[in-house]
Amino acid sequence: MKIPKQAKRKAKALFREVLVDGVLDENRLLRAVQLIVQEKPRGYLAILSYLRHIAKLDQERRTARIESAIPLEPPAEASLKDKLARRYGRGLHISFHVNPALLGGLRIRVGSDVYDGTVSGRLKQLEENLSQ
Amino acid sequence: MTNVLETIEAQIAGVKASPAKQNVGTVREIGDGVAKIEGLTDAMLNEMLDFGNNVTGLALNLEETEVGAIILGDYTSVKEGQEVRTTGKLLQVPVGKGLLGRVVNSLGQPIDGKGPIASETSYPVEKIAPGIIKRKSVSQPVQTGIMSIDAMIPIGRGQRELIIGDRSTGKTTICIDTIINQARLNKDAETKGDKGYRPLYSIYVAVGQKQSNVANTIRVLEENGAMPYTIVVVAAASDSATNQYLAPFAGCAMGEWFMDNAMDALIIFDDLSKHAVAYRQVSLILKRPSGREAYPGDVFYLHSRLLERAARLGEKYGNGSLTALPIIETQLGDVSAYIPTNVISITDGQIYLETDLFYQGVRPAISVGLSVSRVGSAAQIKAMKQVAGRIKGDLAQFRELAAFAQFGSDLDAATQAKIERGKRIVEIFKQQQYNPIPVELQAAVLWAAQNGYFDDVPADRVKDAQAKMGDYLTSRKADLMGRIAKEKALNDALTSELKAAVSEFKATYK
Repeated sequence: MKIPKQAKRKAKALFREVLVDGVLDENRLLRAVQLIVQEKPRGYLAILSYLRHIAKLDQERRTARIESAIPLEPPAEASLKDKLARRYGRGLHISFHVNPALLGGLRIRVGSDVYDGTVSGRLKQLEENLSQ
Repeated sequence: MTNVLETIEAQIAGVKASPAKQNVGTVREIGDGVAKIEGLTDAMLNEMLDFGNNVTGLALNLEETEVGAIILGDYTSVKEGQEVRTTGKLLQVPVGKGLLGRVVNSLGQPIDGKGPIASETSYPVEKIAPGIIKRKSVSQPVQTGIMSIDAMIPIGRGQRELIIGDRSTGKTTICIDTIINQARLNKDAETKGDKGYRPLYSIYVAVGQKQSNVANTIRVLEENGAMPYTIVVVAAASDSATNQYLAPFAGCAMGEWFMDNAMDALIIFDDLSKHAVAYRQVSLILKRPSGREAYPGDVFYLHSRLLERAARLGEKYGNGSLTALPIIETQLGDVSAYIPTNVISITDGQIYLETDLFYQGVRPAISVGLSVSRVGSAAQIKAMKQVAGRIKGDLAQFRELAAFAQFGSDLDAATQAKIERGKRIVEIFKQQQYNPIPVELQAAVLWAAQNGYFDDVPADRVKDAQAKMGDYLTSRKADLMGRIAKEKALNDALTSELKAAVSEFKATYK
């Protein structure tokens, strides 16, 4: 679906309105969406789909996904959470996942930043360097 | 000793392999060699992106939430949702003397099947042109070996001379002739052990041409022994528009290496009209706003930043140079179209080739009135200046008189003589392709023409007389030719000797 510029502008303005101190307030966002659905302003479908797109990007930016080969000890988890919060600010959602395919080490992804310290990642890099 | 070892061991133990931060994104849309990527918040303009499987891309559009990138190489293996990483590197091509004699694509990879290229250095494809401090004005000649160009539209090292004309008017031929002549001069200097001669290396960039044409050009260069001094960069018509867009920049980077390392190079862009078309395609797919003739707004900047990189550097900076001969193909002789006017205004002059002249048998079909070289006369050797100084004016006068003479038959003797002289000069300037003439011979022949030695030869036999005089001078008077080439000027002694030689030839010529 082609989203007109005006709809993009409106969606962006709306998104700024639902931020509280620079952090997305989910309740306000839901209320705004409900209002739009009720009122049906011009091009509301385009506005809603672009709003969804911005919200998704914002959510990704504020989500840290930590993968490890084995479950982490609680103190390690706490220290990671602390360090990530210091680097990326508050409002960061942190989720832990176990992925045995990593073989060892950690892989942390926040938005489009990736910190790859896994054994599988290093092996892959080695493979690429050797094949060149 | 043990102390040192312990320290090293302690250092090794202390090193922690800290995971490097990477910036990734996912492919949202892919098609026509262009990908839209979500994420990649740290991507830089013109940065190389890693798509995995040895596929690389180039970030050209940085938008609010996504990045528009062109894909270099095969884009069919790239899938939607695939992960893309930034590399922190700009696009680079291998440079150096190892590339001479090779045929490469726009990434500098060999495509001639002669194995890998020996090159340790790489240059970024996009580079800022040398500034005003580093530059020097043009003062050394590029001998094209084409008499009409060397006499009337001289080209200097570091100059940018546009070659413009309709299809099949001999644009590429002029460039190939120039490359062949450089190879001849380089080889001559090598065999004579002339340390004073600065060899000129050539780079031929073929953009959007038929593979058969490119193969033919390479064959001609090989047959004439010019390949050892030439790099051929090919982005043929079947290559993607992205590769066609990059090829001139890649070739330019290879030429810049010679310039930066105190050597001289000549680069030919064949041709920039197709380059502009390829860039238009890339821009339209990237959804950049289009302007006149659907070209993007920065098509002028595209060519100006490319041609600005041709320069002559000052002695302090190595005294190297990069001469550019861009080619533009016009439609029905229309030089006022968008891309031709752009490139005319960027370059230091143009050689305009006319279809009419070509079919009249005047080859190379250079239109003297419309061709100009704005800086080259400073680079012309003195001997050439002495004999060719007035020729351009004489020829222009001849054309005017010839048109006028068609109406009336009664002409005074002076006008008649001018017309006859003009006819002979036009004949003398006709030249076979792939057959460059040494500059000393050019000067001698023009001297003979200026001093009336061809006036009693019928116009249709001038070419024959010229060829025989050339043979005579190069075989019997090789010493005189050598001295003209060495002194680069016609002083009184040389002039009288030349007079004697030409008179001697005329006495035997029938």
